[in-house]
Amino acid sequence: MRFLVEAPGLLTTVQDGGRYGYERFGMSPAGPMDRRAFRIANILVGNRRDESALEATVTGPTLVFDGDGVIALTGADMDAELNGAPCPTYRALAVHAGDRLSMGAAKEGCRAYIAFFGGLDVPPIMGSRATALQNRIGGYEGRKLAAGDAISVRAEGPLPGNLAGRQAPRPVFSRDITVRVILGPQDDLFTREGLDTFLTRPYTVSNDFSRMGYRLEGPVIHHVADGNIISDGIVAGAIQVPTSGQPIIMMAERQTVGGYTKIATVISADLPLIGQAKAGDRLHFRSVAVEEAHRALRQEEQALRQLEESVSSAPAEMPEKQYRIHLNGQVYHVKIQRIEQEETPCIRSI
Amino acid sequence: MSEFTIRYVGDQALSVEFENEISMAVSRKVRALRRELARRDLPGLGELVPSYRALLIHYDPLTLHPEILIRAVTEAAEAMDPAGSAGGTVVEIPVLYEGEYAMDLEEIARFENKTVEEIIAIHSGCDHYVYMLGFAPGHPYAARFEHPFSIRRRSSPRVKIPAGSVAVQRDLSDIIPFELPCGWNVIGTTPVLICDYRKEDPFLLRPGDWIRHVPIDRAQFREIRRQVELGEYRCRRYEKEAVR
Repeated sequence: MRFLVEAPGLLTTVQDGGRYGYERFGMSPAGPMDRRAFRIANILVGNRRDESALEATVTGPTLVFDGDGVIALTGADMDAELNGAPCPTYRALAVHAGDRLSMGAAKEGCRAYIAFFGGLDVPPIMGSRATALQNRIGGYEGRKLAAGDAISVRAEGPLPGNLAGRQAPRPVFSRDITVRVILGPQDDLFTREGLDTFLTRPYTVSNDFSRMGYRLEGPVIHHVADGNIISDGIVAGAIQVPTSGQPIIMMAERQTVGGYTKIATVISADLPLIGQAKAGDRLHFRSVAVEEAHRALRQEEQALRQLEESVSSAPAEMPEKQYRIHLNGQVYHVKIQRIEQEETPCIRSI
Repeated sequence: MSEFTIRYVGDQALSVEFENEISMAVSRKVRALRRELARRDLPGLGELVPSYRALLIHYDPLTLHPEILIRAVTEAAEAMDPAGSAGGTVVEIPVLYEGEYAMDLEEIARFENKTVEEIIAIHSGCDHYVYMLGFAPGHPYAARFEHPFSIRRRSSPRVKIPAGSVAVQRDLSDIIPFELPCGWNVIGTTPVLICDYRKEDPFLLRPGDWIRHVPIDRAQFREIRRQVELGEYRCRRYEKEAVR
């Protein structure tokens, strides 16, 4: 199965789990901004969690399929329609030749994911299919999708069955978000009052938010001296505060080293909340211990495993019935198997 | 044994910090710790990212408990051998120090009260140590330890400096990875790429390498560029004798 990009949306890229192993060469891993939604989409269609899928930003694409496949939409609600009828999210859907998936603007959240059973047929570069826009490599020719692009799906073997059983709960994306952070590594370079400001006052996402990072606006965070350090490594979720006192959250395509003081780091389990934030959203930071962050990560892992189990326990084979039929003195052994996919409500309700 | 501080960096990384300075001695500790930890084959240990004075250690907390990692880091820091980081690989990078490719060369010479030839001799006569890579893929942060210039950044940055420009200030020398605004002084240009994704190993340099700038003329520049475009050019490399 292949799909044609009829309209690309604002910024739609191929992402997978990320291109790891090259940060010491100055290359950030890229990968999804909302890893949770990305992984759920893949699990729902029966893929490995970190298989390649599409990430749409603010407005989604319009895709036309030329064959049978199974897809799932997760993340931001972009009023998706399949052949003009509202299309459910957070569940697997069958698509057929000629079907048109069209997405609009995000009503809630910022980024939507579209996973395809089998993953996307773009060449892996340095072990990953993730698009790194800054470095112009990976994904589809190292760039965001454009109208007229066509991507094949790497599906091999039979499509997953029991689509109705492949569902996950839809989260609510708020515009007023509390994220948990672990203070440091340079929290000692801020005044007590500076730390207090950061942890008690709200910060607003500015218009400058991207896959590289989110610039925030709010009360100035005061340093003991200034916002400069001898450059060191930067992780996803690191919150840099330059001398201006306005924080920047470093994201999937961050620079790998930098010379600004880092007041705190968003915990991994809450980083997807930032990936779903957009200009004007308000952020509150709450300091937690590393143990709590690890607990949250284990819960996240457990939830994903449960979802994986629940979708894989769904019967992959079509149900089959066998009959022994006596006809004119002969005995026939007859097998009856439904060969059509289960109908998907959103397509056939028209 | 070295003085160091271990800090949590979020929930999936630690940073080990040595003395708060940019120096060869500290850089060697960072690299020695990296080597020592990498040898230990610790399940759940992720990427190790060296910078001037710190080693960023990624780990998977679902596999590796941070306390076990901290113990391993402490042991590695005690067992490591910073002297083992002496020497290193010299990578020769051809540079055309001429005309429109060296737009600030004459100004550097004036500022340093030297001839253009003397400036080129200093820049190509000293090896530049690669502390770390960052900013862009394969981009080195490099400095030399002898004959620093006194010139600093230009008072107003140039709006555009082409990729491949070699730019300097004080003891620092940079290779501009892509066209960007920059306040450094452009001394020349190189036809080689610091990152070429067509190659199995895309990165020209490693932390701890030494850059040797080799003056070339326009004909050599064109020939090397042709080979680079074909993916055939290989920079000359050799072992540097141990430096104290």
